[in-house]
Amino acid sequence: MMQMTRPTVGKYIWGMAASLIILLAGGWLILAPFALGYQPYGADWVSQTTNDFWVGIPVAVVALVSFMLFFASLIASLRAAGVLLARPRLQQQTLATAPGPAMMQAPAPVAPAMYVDQSDLDRTLATLAAALAADLNNRRQAQASSDQQSDQTISNRRDV
Amino acid sequence: MHSGDAMRRLFPLGSYVLLLFFLTGIWVAISPFAMTTQPSGAHWIPSTINNVVVGAILIAVSLLSILGYMTFELRDILREAREKQLKQELAEQQATALAANQ
Repeated sequence: MMQMTRPTVGKYIWGMAASLIILLAGGWLILAPFALGYQPYGADWVSQTTNDFWVGIPVAVVALVSFMLFFASLIASLRAAGVLLARPRLQQQTLATAPGPAMMQAPAPVAPAMYVDQSDLDRTLATLAAALAADLNNRRQAQASSDQQSDQTISNRRDV
Repeated sequence: MHSGDAMRRLFPLGSYVLLLFFLTGIWVAISPFAMTTQPSGAHWIPSTINNVVVGAILIAVSLLSILGYMTFELRDILREAREKQLKQELAEQQATALAANQ
């Protein structure tokens, strides 16, 4: 059973806000020499432009990564508190290992009961997908057997 | 909770990144003077004003963020400790009541 804890999202929101402000500051550092006009147009970069640009890029990148990490922590915290539901995992049925090539194995019929904690639409779609896959495999099997038969006929005629 | 665990919770990896931003802010603010792009004794040129303002923002935001995160985390630690203490007291009360009934 999932342990329910009280969500404490303040620190994550705080971190996300700080990361966002620093991200904007880094972006502005990159653009400022051109926006404020202290970098002459078409000339080599002056030392201040070079400094601002090469400081701005890591600041913006690290701030973006930091924002994403704080966001991921926020989501994890909400999941741990039970506010957000964890994604339902599909319970995969272990297929019986029948002899023959893997492509030719017909999938076992999928019962809707296999999919726990899913909506009706998901279950219907899963059943439909399983039926389509089974149909495709049957066609492939039929085609493969007819190919084998025609090969056999051709070789018999050659023998005659 | 051990003091080491508490320190790790109070200063996570993100705080060190924010410390890096703090140092970056200091560099951005002093770079016009360190790189002598700001003429000595003259009024500040636009690039100097920009760098000092952006550097100050970086310093302020990173410091506030470190302190803010620490405050929130400290509140959580205190709340957890209080809840733990309450649970212990409740368990002791139940044990006493059970013993009295028997």
